[in-house]
Amino acid sequence: MALPAPAAEAASEQRACLRCHGMATLAYRDPATGDIVNLALNEKTFGHSVHGELACSHCHEDGYESYPHSPDVSAAELNCVQCHEDHPENTDRVDFTVIDQEYQASVHARSDDSEAAGFNCHSCHDPHAFRASLLGRDIPDIVAYDNQICLSCHEELRDAFSTSHAWLPNRDKHWASVRCLDCHTPSRDNGRPVSHEILSKEQSNANCVNCHSQAQGLLSRLYQYRSREDIEEKGFFAKAVFNQAYIVGMSRNPLIDRLALIIIGLTVLVLAAHGYGRYRAYQSLREQQATAANEGDKQ
Amino acid sequence: MSALYLYPIWMRLWHWLNAVIFIVLMVTGASMHFSGTPWLLSFNTAVPIHNASGILLTISWVVFIVGNLFTTNGRHYRVQFRGFFQRLFAQMGYYGYGIFRNAPHPFHVTEEMKLNTLQQISYIGVMYGLMPFLIISGWAFLYSVYLPETLFGIGILWLIAMAHLTLAYFLVMFLIVHMYIITTGETLTTNLRAMFTGWHRETDQH
Repeated sequence: MALPAPAAEAASEQRACLRCHGMATLAYRDPATGDIVNLALNEKTFGHSVHGELACSHCHEDGYESYPHSPDVSAAELNCVQCHEDHPENTDRVDFTVIDQEYQASVHARSDDSEAAGFNCHSCHDPHAFRASLLGRDIPDIVAYDNQICLSCHEELRDAFSTSHAWLPNRDKHWASVRCLDCHTPSRDNGRPVSHEILSKEQSNANCVNCHSQAQGLLSRLYQYRSREDIEEKGFFAKAVFNQAYIVGMSRNPLIDRLALIIIGLTVLVLAAHGYGRYRAYQSLREQQATAANEGDKQ
Repeated sequence: MSALYLYPIWMRLWHWLNAVIFIVLMVTGASMHFSGTPWLLSFNTAVPIHNASGILLTISWVVFIVGNLFTTNGRHYRVQFRGFFQRLFAQMGYYGYGIFRNAPHPFHVTEEMKLNTLQQISYIGVMYGLMPFLIISGWAFLYSVYLPETLFGIGILWLIAMAHLTLAYFLVMFLIVHMYIITTGETLTTNLRAMFTGWHRETDQH
């Protein structure tokens, strides 16, 4: 791979390419499949992306001298991991070797579903639009941007009648404020922004307490925030009934729950045994009375 | 046959209303706590019902306290210390041993004393001990923003949540034992009938 060109050179090269690829309608119909193949780039989106300052030839090396470009050049696979490994200085926040390992363990790499065939980095990350961080934007915007990546393939989840995630209380609220990745990646605290090990449905985090618990700090911050909002929006007294702040799992404590259920279970057993003892006592009393009555008859 | 009119209508109404409120609170509370379990209510349905029932339980508890202050019913909750342990051990001995030997009840209901000593201390513990704390922790949950953030260095919400949970489990336990103990009257249904009709009826065999 070539070294990054100086900024001015890169900009002039980009301008040359974008003269055509900056046109929103630039596309052709693939004669083999009949599909429309979009060749257009949004100049603004590209400019803001992580790769926005690179010369096009940095990734798209040879074969672009003739117009229209030969169909073979677009078929060449771009290897993100290799390029990023060669230039770790450009990827200070993320180690692409780890990303590769995580990806290889993810459901996208391991699934034998035909839809997962040919899955690669570009399936989620459009190299012409991808931004590493949306820091500073509102959280719902960040969440929506992030989840849009998943939903562009998992579009069935948009169906209003979809029963997916129906077990999740306040499902739509979760979707609006939590990234898919937050539950569908392992909950390891390794200081990295996000894991690329996307988990299958079965492996994913379905335990409310992992987020909604004392240790996560989410409990008091979120609860108190929503409490204040409740009181402001609904008024002091209405809050007593229509309290929206309660978070599932905030009262859960595995130790107390387990202890209490064991003690209650044992109590029920003891009471059942007690009841049985009383029944036996009652039976023996009846027998005694019957015997006494018989003896009384005989006398 | 002896018959004592022990439970006036207001008390019976209070008792059964309190029971209904309590059961609703148990079911909705469990639905919130174990949200996602299929045979429970949905979370969004459970929350307002639980909150509304909590308000009713608070009112009900105040009625109980005021009722005991201004009617003769209050005397049943005043512990008589003379012979306290003797009566307590006799009652415990009866439930733990005598009942299986068809021993006579050590306690006989009178108008002055409708609760046996064991019953009395457990009701006092529940109604004057656990219940106010359960109610206070419930309200503290709703208006936690007006409380200090921490207590003894521990997040106040966590303390409230754990207190509410533990008290709730204690009271669920009380309810279970309570429902069993009412079957230990002279017959299985003697005590239950009394709480429906107001009349405590016993055969005069003692």
